[in-house]
Formats: sequence, structure tokens, C-alpha cells
Amino acid sequence: MNQTNIADKQKNRFLKSIARRTTIELEKLRQIPESPPALNYFYDAMESVFVRNEPERFLNPDSTKKKMIGVYCMMVPEELIDAAGAVSVRLCAGCFESSQIGEDRIPKDVCPLVKSAMGFTIQKGLAAVDLCDVVIIPTTCDAKRKLGEELSAFKNVWMIEVPHIKDAEFSRRIWIDQLYGLKSKIEKYAGNGRAKTKTSSRYLGAAIKKTAVAQWELRQLLSIRQSKSPVIWGRQAVVVENAYAYTRTEDWAENLAQLNIQLAEKVKNNNAVCSENCPRIFIAGSPVIFPNTKIQSLVEEMGGILVADESCAGDRYLYDPIGNPENSLAGQMTGIASRYLAPCICPAFTPNDDRLFMIKRMVADFAADGVLYHVLKGCVIYDFELHRVEKILNRAKIPVLRIETDYNPEDVEQLRTRIEAFIEMLKSQKKKKRSDSLCQPIS
Amino acid sequence: MNLSRLRWTVSSVAFAVLLFGAYLGLYFGDFLPTFSCRYADTRSGTCFMMTIQRTIQMLLGTIGGFARKDMMIFLKQLLYFSLLVMLIGRAWCGWICPLGFFQDVLYWIGRKLRIGYVRFSKTIRNRLVWIKWGFMFVALLIPLWVAFPVFFPHVALNLRMPFCQLCPGKYILPLLVGNPDRIAVNYESTTHLVMSLLGLSFSVLVVLGAVIKNRFWCRFCPLGLILSWFRKISFFKLMKDDEKCTRCEICYNICPMDIHEVFESRGRKDVTFPECHLCLKCIQNCPETDALKAVYLGMPIYRSSSKRFFKNSGTSTAGDFRALKKIGIGHEH
Repeated sequence: MNQTNIADKQKNRFLKSIARRTTIELEKLRQIPESPPALNYFYDAMESVFVRNEPERFLNPDSTKKKMIGVYCMMVPEELIDAAGAVSVRLCAGCFESSQIGEDRIPKDVCPLVKSAMGFTIQKGLAAVDLCDVVIIPTTCDAKRKLGEELSAFKNVWMIEVPHIKDAEFSRRIWIDQLYGLKSKIEKYAGNGRAKTKTSSRYLGAAIKKTAVAQWELRQLLSIRQSKSPVIWGRQAVVVENAYAYTRTEDWAENLAQLNIQLAEKVKNNNAVCSENCPRIFIAGSPVIFPNTKIQSLVEEMGGILVADESCAGDRYLYDPIGNPENSLAGQMTGIASRYLAPCICPAFTPNDDRLFMIKRMVADFAADGVLYHVLKGCVIYDFELHRVEKILNRAKIPVLRIETDYNPEDVEQLRTRIEAFIEMLKSQKKKKRSDSLCQPIS
Repeated sequence: MNLSRLRWTVSSVAFAVLLFGAYLGLYFGDFLPTFSCRYADTRSGTCFMMTIQRTIQMLLGTIGGFARKDMMIFLKQLLYFSLLVMLIGRAWCGWICPLGFFQDVLYWIGRKLRIGYVRFSKTIRNRLVWIKWGFMFVALLIPLWVAFPVFFPHVALNLRMPFCQLCPGKYILPLLVGNPDRIAVNYESTTHLVMSLLGLSFSVLVVLGAVIKNRFWCRFCPLGLILSWFRKISFFKLMKDDEKCTRCEICYNICPMDIHEVFESRGRKDVTFPECHLCLKCIQNCPETDALKAVYLGMPIYRSSSKRFFKNSGTSTAGDFRALKKIGIGHEH
């Protein structure tokens, strides 16, 4: 009796502290003046997950009985889950409180994302995590691989092996074999063990189409963010993209379409959120996941604007589409297998030159002035590639600042100084570039 | 017009003109770089494979030496053939070939019946390459034997047009224009019997294969092999912009010929690989704007576009898209 009381108290304290942090972050975002009203949907979704603790309101608003399946990493084909009639929730976590709890069970040196995911599982309470009896974890980095093993003490864990050498024919083969296996596993689970639960090509096609609508809207948002005078703050856009994990795809796409219209309106009225002289920052490296808004808030408080990132929970989460498949199941599965392996540039892959190409392209497309290389403490593989990324960016004369941090708010002030200096440097560089171009002789 | 509709229109018109052109009094010549089969009575031109075999077995066999007049005719035909190939490269295969069109129709039927499709693994593909060299060998060396029947003359003399006897086009295309007598097994001699049986079984294999494998025959076609030698000097090319390619593999999945080099290649612009039919499906299905381009004489004539990709998947929520476009934002990025 007493023990359950203590556990209850612990749980309530945990939930309260998460709710408090999330509320503060969301309040800060809501108070940004002249924000498009369509953003509220995404803020509300976050609130329902972390504050009100009712994730199903946004994940499964029809309140039909659907099973929830948790996924980690962007390599899990969520279309398969959707087509089988289950709900997928991306559980990669960005919460400081839970990362501290996770430390009790897994090494301190592991990245906070994995610690946080562990913590949410150990400390029951957050409904979004608790509702998922099954989680799917791809073997991407070492931390995720071992996370799967540790989580299996609490949940039913399905691991899928991600081949780390993408180009090889055998990789393609084992990958697609596993997706077929995963598909039948999902079908069996989602269909409550009934015999006839096969996902037909019609359902899978509909799921693919649904995602494609979301992807199209995301690409629209990206093209708006490419415009010369920014109309949306990067920290707002990050929440929009993060919210995809906790919402139903079609609702997310619909609200993003609304947002895009409102933003386009702002572009038309020349209603920029900051001047064109604001240094445009690109965040490379480890993913930034709500409610960890440390980096993007600092960048924008210090006078920069975050124009894009390459985060697997951000701009890259939904970027690549599934090819227009033939209406056969085989065609769709091939398309899905390709989409979740080939264009993915997670540094867990090797060789990973594709990432350099992608960063180069994005930096050019978004006209970034500087790159902030974000390394979550313990996320070694992103740190490994720093040197290569720096090399190609130096060639393009783009300054890079490496920031190593975790979810702990302790080092904010220290980071602030460094980011401020970086942005000041970019500002003076930009000014110089402008005056240079103004002084050019008329030819 | 949508590219696939354009392709269907062009190839069906080409099919009709090439196989039924005689009704209109059309005849283009004996040098067409496409399977306009000479066994189809109503054709309006003849496949160059036939001309090669005929020339070798007649020309070299002419007793008394070199027949200058025949040689000149052949050289002229070769010149015309080369010019035609240079003009559009292997688009002859992708857009014009009647047998190709027939296979496309079969594959389309397969799709409608929701029959799955087969993809050969890289190793098998690399081995299958030798089959077309085998056909090439048959088409070039056996006519020599026919010309100089030094051993087994009675076999050699029955081996006229050896490739044609094996070619599925000889059995399928005449059937399509209403000459069903060609599909009969030829009992004239043992050689004829063997050859026609082989040819017939190839034809059946091609018809069945085409339903589950897009353009099943094309990877074995020796005429296609000859056409591919012209790809460096042809006017029609497929180009890729490395910087824009995300290597998403979509072009590989959509490619009728399973060409994986296009998405894999880094650091080369011209991605017209020997197998490429220039059907341009890869461009049509590429989700990255300007990553792939069709270039004619250095001029881009068709580019990939993100907008087209999403429109093809039926996704651009029309209203929103229009609102964005009105103010010049909905552009592709």
C-alpha cells in the first residue's frame, strides 16, 4: 500500500515536471507576436501529449479501438502500421527529466535521446509511451541497438536490422525481407490474432498516398522557408515537424496546408519575422526533438534565424517520398524498402557521402550563412562526420560552429555566449558581403 | 500532355504505321533500327537485323569475288541505319519498337490484374547479358557458314536468316498483323524443325515473361545491343545533376530495364547507360526538381520536377496549391 503510494507520488512528480517544462516552452512559442494561427494545432498536439497526457486525442481522434505501436528512428515504415489499421507513435524523446531517470539503467555516456527514451519506459506515466505495448526499433546506432535490448524488459520489442552498407545488393535483399516479416507481424498484432488480416495493396496504397500528401505540404513549407525574407521562425517550424510523431497524418497535413496558406499570405504582404540581414543558420547533426528547444531558441534569441536542419525528426523526417508504385503489393513494398533505406543519410550508414551532398544542397538552397553542428553528448557517429562536413562547407566558405550539449538546461548561458559570438561574426560577414556587392563597379 | 500518355500514343502510332503501313503504300527501307519484322506482310519497313544476315550470307558467298554493287547497297543501308540511330538513340526501343509496344501492353495487362512483378538480382542480370551476345553471334557467324557451307552443307543451307528463325518477333508480330501461318512448326527439315521449335518456345517465354517483367525480351535483343554502341554519339541523352540527386532509388524501381547505375552514379553527367531505352520514366518519376534531364543536341527537353512527382501520386491538394501558386510561392524547390 505504502509502496504504491510512493510510486504514485513519483509518477505524479515526474509528469508534473514534464508538464511544467513543456508549458513553459509552448508558452514562449505562443507568445511570439504575429504567429500564424494555424500553428496552434501543432502546439495543442504537443500539449496533449506532454501536459494533458491524452495523446489519443490527436493520434486517433475518431476514438476507434486501434492498437498503438511505438517506433524509434525514421527507418520504420509507418505506412505498414497505418495500412494494418494500427497507430504509430514516434517515441524518440527529447525530455531532460526522463533522460535523468534513464541514467539509472543505461550508461551515462549514452546520448540523451536514448536515455530519455529509456526513462519514459522505466518511469510509467506518460500515456503516449505507456499505450504502446509493442515498439519497433531499427538497429541504427549502437545506442539504439542496445536500447532495444534494455527495453525488452518492459515492452514487446521488435528489432529490425538496418544494413549499414546501403549500396550493396545484399543490403537491399535483407532489408526488404525484414519489411515483409515486419508487415506480417504488424498485421497479426493489429488484427488481434485473427487469421485473415493481410494488408491489401489497396490499404497500403492509401497509406502511401496519405503520407505523400503530408510530404507535399512539408515540401511547400520548406520552399516557403527558402524565401529571402523569413516568415516563420525556425523554432516554430521544428515543433510543426516534431508534431508529426504525435498526430494523425491526414490531420497534420491538413493543418500544415492551412499554415502554408497563412505563411504565403505573409510573404505576399512582405510580413517578415526578421530582417533580411539576420544570419540564416542551418542546424546539422544530432536531431533536436521537442521539448528540447535549447539550440534553436538560443540561435533565434541571439539574432539569427534557423532556416533548415537535417534532423531525422525535422526537415528530413518526411522529405523523401515513396516512388509512385504500381498497384501491386510487391511494387509497393519495393518502393517502401527503397524509401526507408536508400535516401536516408543517418550517419549510422557507411560510407555516407550522400549526407555531404545533402548538406551541401540544403545549405545552398536555403541560402544559409552559417552551420551549427549540433552534437548530442554521446552521439558519436554525428561527431565522427564533423570533419568531412566542415571540409565541404569550408570549400563553400560557410562557417561551422560545433556545439556539444545534452538536454540539461545547465549549460544554456555558456552556449549563449558561444552562439552569440558566432552570430555576431556572421552578421559582420554578411554586412561586409553586402557592402562589397554594393561597391561593385558597373560593368 | 502527360509523358506516359505521349509515349503510349507515339508507340501505338508507330506500331500501326510500321506493321500496317503497306496498306497506305508506305515503305521506308530495309534499314530500320527497330523490329519491323519482314515476315509481317503489311510492314512498311524492315528490321536491320535481317539486312545484316542477308548481306553476310549473300555478299560473302558470291562466287567469283566481291560484288561491288551489293556492297555499295549495304554500305548505304548501314549509313542510313546509323543516321537513324544517331537521331534518337535507343528511343527506337523505348518509343517505336512494335515488339516493345506489344510487351508494354502485356505488362499493362499484368498490372491491371494486379500480378506481382519480378526483378532479377544483379548477379543474374549480369549473366543474362551474355544471351544477347549469343544472339549476336548467331546473327553474324552463322550467315558466314551459310555463305561458305564447308561442313554439313545441308544443315547450313537450311539456316538462312538464323537469328530471324529464333527471334520471337518473327512469330509474334506476323500473328498480330494476321499472318498466323508463321507460328506453325516447320517440318521441312530437321534443322527447320529445331529452329522453329526454339523460336516458338522463345516467343511463348517472351509473352509470358512480359506479363511479369517489364520489357522481358529487350534485355536479350541483339539489335538493341547494336543500338547501344551509338549512345556516345547519339543526339538524345539522359543527364543527371549530382548535386540534386538524393539517391532515393525511385528511378531504379521504375526502370523497365532495371538500370541501377543512374541513381548510383556520382560524378558523371551523362547517364545514358547501354541498356537505357530513353523511355524517360525515370525523369517522370523523379521527386527532385532538375535532378534528371533529357537532353537533345545539348538542349534540355524534359526535366524532373518535384511538383510533377506529387501530382502524379495524386496528392497536391489542389486548392491550397493554387493559393500558393498565385503569389509565386508554390514553386518547386
